[in-house]
Amino acid sequence: MGKYILRRFWQSIITVLIVLFVMFMLLRLMPKENYFTRDDYINMTEEDRTAYLRNLGVLDNPFVQFFKFIRGFVTGDLGRSITVYPKTPITEILKEKIPYSLWFGLVSVLLSVVLGFLMGISMANNKDKLADQLGTIYVVAVRAIPSLVYLFLIQMWVTHIFNLPMVFYEDEPASWILPAISLSLSGIAWYAIWLRRFMVDEENKDYIKFAIAKGLPRSYVMKRHVLRNALVPLVQYLPSQILLTIAGSLIIESIYSIPGMGGLLVYAIRQQDNTLVQALVCIYSILGVFGVFIGDILMAIVDPRIKLTSAKVEREVTA
Amino acid sequence: MKTKDFITIDAIDTTPKTHGDILIEARDVEVIFNLRGRKLKALRRAGLELRSGETMTVVGESGSGKSVLSKTLIGMLDKNGKITGGSIIYRGVDLVKVTDEQDWLAIRGKRIAMIFQDPMTALNPLKKIGEQIREVIVLHRGLDAMASRIAALDMLVKVGITDPERRYEQYPHEFSGGMRQRVVIATAIACNPEILICDEPTTALDVTIQAQILDLIKKLQKDMGLSVLFITHDLGVVAKMADRIAVMYAGQVVEEGTVEDVFYDARHPYTWALLASLPQLGIKGKELFAIKGTPPSLFKEIQGDAFAPRNPFALEVDFYHEPPMFEVSSTHRARTWYLDPRAPKVEPPEVVVRLREHLKQTTGR
Amino acid sequence: MKQVPVLGPELFVPAQAGAGEEEQIGYEHYSYWRSTFRTFLKNPVSVVLLTIIILLTAVSFVYPVLSGTDPNKVALDVERWNLSPEQGGGIFGTDQLGRDIWARTWYGTRTSLLLGFIIALLDVGIGMIAGALWGYVKKLDRIMTEIYNILTNIPQTVLLLLLSYILRPGFWTIIIALCSTGWIGIARFVRNKVLMIRDSEYNIASRTLGTPLMRIITKNILPYLVSILIMEAALTIPYSIGAEVFLGFIGLGLPLDTVSLGNLVNMGKNNFLLYPYQLTWPTLVLALVTVSFYIAGNKFADASDPRNHV
Repeated sequence: MGKYILRRFWQSIITVLIVLFVMFMLLRLMPKENYFTRDDYINMTEEDRTAYLRNLGVLDNPFVQFFKFIRGFVTGDLGRSITVYPKTPITEILKEKIPYSLWFGLVSVLLSVVLGFLMGISMANNKDKLADQLGTIYVVAVRAIPSLVYLFLIQMWVTHIFNLPMVFYEDEPASWILPAISLSLSGIAWYAIWLRRFMVDEENKDYIKFAIAKGLPRSYVMKRHVLRNALVPLVQYLPSQILLTIAGSLIIESIYSIPGMGGLLVYAIRQQDNTLVQALVCIYSILGVFGVFIGDILMAIVDPRIKLTSAKVEREVTA
Repeated sequence: MKTKDFITIDAIDTTPKTHGDILIEARDVEVIFNLRGRKLKALRRAGLELRSGETMTVVGESGSGKSVLSKTLIGMLDKNGKITGGSIIYRGVDLVKVTDEQDWLAIRGKRIAMIFQDPMTALNPLKKIGEQIREVIVLHRGLDAMASRIAALDMLVKVGITDPERRYEQYPHEFSGGMRQRVVIATAIACNPEILICDEPTTALDVTIQAQILDLIKKLQKDMGLSVLFITHDLGVVAKMADRIAVMYAGQVVEEGTVEDVFYDARHPYTWALLASLPQLGIKGKELFAIKGTPPSLFKEIQGDAFAPRNPFALEVDFYHEPPMFEVSSTHRARTWYLDPRAPKVEPPEVVVRLREHLKQTTGR
Repeated sequence: MKQVPVLGPELFVPAQAGAGEEEQIGYEHYSYWRSTFRTFLKNPVSVVLLTIIILLTAVSFVYPVLSGTDPNKVALDVERWNLSPEQGGGIFGTDQLGRDIWARTWYGTRTSLLLGFIIALLDVGIGMIAGALWGYVKKLDRIMTEIYNILTNIPQTVLLLLLSYILRPGFWTIIIALCSTGWIGIARFVRNKVLMIRDSEYNIASRTLGTPLMRIITKNILPYLVSILIMEAALTIPYSIGAEVFLGFIGLGLPLDTVSLGNLVNMGKNNFLLYPYQLTWPTLVLALVTVSFYIAGNKFADASDPRNHV
């Protein structure tokens, strides 16, 4: 087991480096003007600009830049923001922003998992009946309609109906509720539909038929065999889902004015703050890879069939 | 979990049976499947008798309905299938009429147990095999954790698994096919059922392992007084296991009798054809016998004797009227017009006659 | 059914030879496409959705041709600005520059559908070729699997953002961004199918019987691929519209003068409190489009799975 973990860990590190490299190189395609604020660009002379860029390290060979970036990354230096918080070290900015994203992220994940599982189980148990159909309507609505649409409408209507604040204030507890719930909506749909699918798949397997032939009651079989076995493939995707409530958080943090990492990224893009965008994008990428890594480890722990030195675990591409 | 709550079939007659008493009497069972919008009649008035302490083998080709018949005995027809006629009387209860899942809980595992063909997929891959045996014991015999574990270990020993303590903690993928089938058998008999249905349990196994499993089943039958319904397409297995035989063709039981009845005195042309196709009866240099043609489509209504089109010695009447069951003796029955007093005398093919000689020599029966 | 003679002793004679009767087997002709469409159309929901989709697509492509209304025409008369339908602004009203929202909605739907179709086509096209090569050429397997692992590790949203940030936001940027990770899923699917075909026993059996390779391809591979294409196209549409809306929100979407559902929604959002109709109508159409394609796509995916042809 330890060997497997170590192997996957190194694979992840390499994947991270490759991903960061790709991201980094893509960013290098950026036209140089974007490193300046408009005023600065106009006011500085060509020489000053060149000097500034050289200082930033942007004029060096891309590979050298990448190396320096990685080195900085590992030592905790992510560069400085250019336009959003000029000259402020990014690590400091992040220190302030991360707690909010973290809090909302964790809470929404908890809600998603609990509610999603309950819904998924109920849907699987009542396959094709009312509960299943209602659940399907919910899932379809959340997955087909762009999240911005329903999140925005929720912000407009639900706050009106329940008299909740539309903007997030740290001191106002009521303003914490709606963003957290909104953030969990797509997660609920995701967990519900996947758990239902896995459970339905398990139900059709031979050993379930044998379990029933043994005389075990259906409810017992659903709980102790179907559900338990269906959770196993699900476990693999759990961590990456947890780490990646990004798209939702970008929108939520923006529309509710929550000072978190997602909102920061949106703002950084709008303000064209290259270094900040770069740092954030890299962090999100690392989270992504890390999530997959933890997922594989969890799966190996939970599934006894995966032996210690087994080959790569095949991963399905999930939307 | 207490199973006592689930026993709602109070009608079950629980008087102990003596050897030879009829346990299950199935008559005129009809089963229809809904397939891609069309109806398939899988069982066309099939019937048989299972007697206490005996092994009844059901023989037939794929599609003859033998699996379907066995599934009706524990209420596990596929979702698109329905029993549309007939009766299956077990201890005073007509199993055809049992539709409530709760009622079936009193029968499955406790009174009638079933093992399936493929041991590789019959066990939960993510659960220790000891647990899979124990959960049945807990449920049906109501023993506590410790006692049920001991009982489960006991079962493992009974089916011939060595080092049961260690094996108990292992997962199915750590067992070979034959061992898995033993575990499956252990699970099935864990609650001391009266009847064990074996649906081709050795088809997926090596020939050598096959013999072991068959021996095991016979031994368990003797030790536990089981009545076994054994489904197979292999006549060799039949010869080894059977006390009585039921031959099925196109959804019907065409001949039913003791081993001697069927092997020495077969009356139905299909049975002759089956016996004739045993390779052991082949004469060196001559072509092996094979039945011409294929079984009829069960989507269509069959007129007359289903086997007629493939029977070179068929009578005119075979194409128009379905033969009823004729009694040859108190133990022997066959569905063929040959047994009608109006029919001409038809001799079984010489191959069958040769079989009798062959059997007399090899088994001395 | 033959005429049934009476059951009398005269019937008990050997029968005349009935040639060929013994070979009547239960084979029914199975056509993959016929079964797929039958299974799909059996569900009334699918039929309704299919109709909606056809209608929506037809209207969005036909309307620009038939109607004279220019979606980009700014009204010079300020009175025409922000007129709701009740006030006489047209079927869906007018926006903050007096442009007709009804026209803009349909032009926008056309743009968004086009976007989705192109992405689906590219994804499937590239994916099929890549997947076929991946399956056939054994040497490629290792490197392709590595590429697959890496691409699936990159969070899609992040890549989308990044590419839109770097390249000029526009129609083709979104296409490139979405296609850059979409193709690998199809490639993997196709590769699995190719492996199955190469190594599956029924195909080896086919080949031993002398079936030419072309026939194997057309009968076994092609039906799958076409159904993937249809399924992908249907499911890509809600996804690409979602991406477009999302990017528009961040500021990296299609240029504001392009008429698309995403832009309509984002602009309508800004005026929601004052003129809610500017958001609600386009959003309704958007929801209708995305939900219909999503459900229909899933239903088609189910129907094209031969195991469901019961």
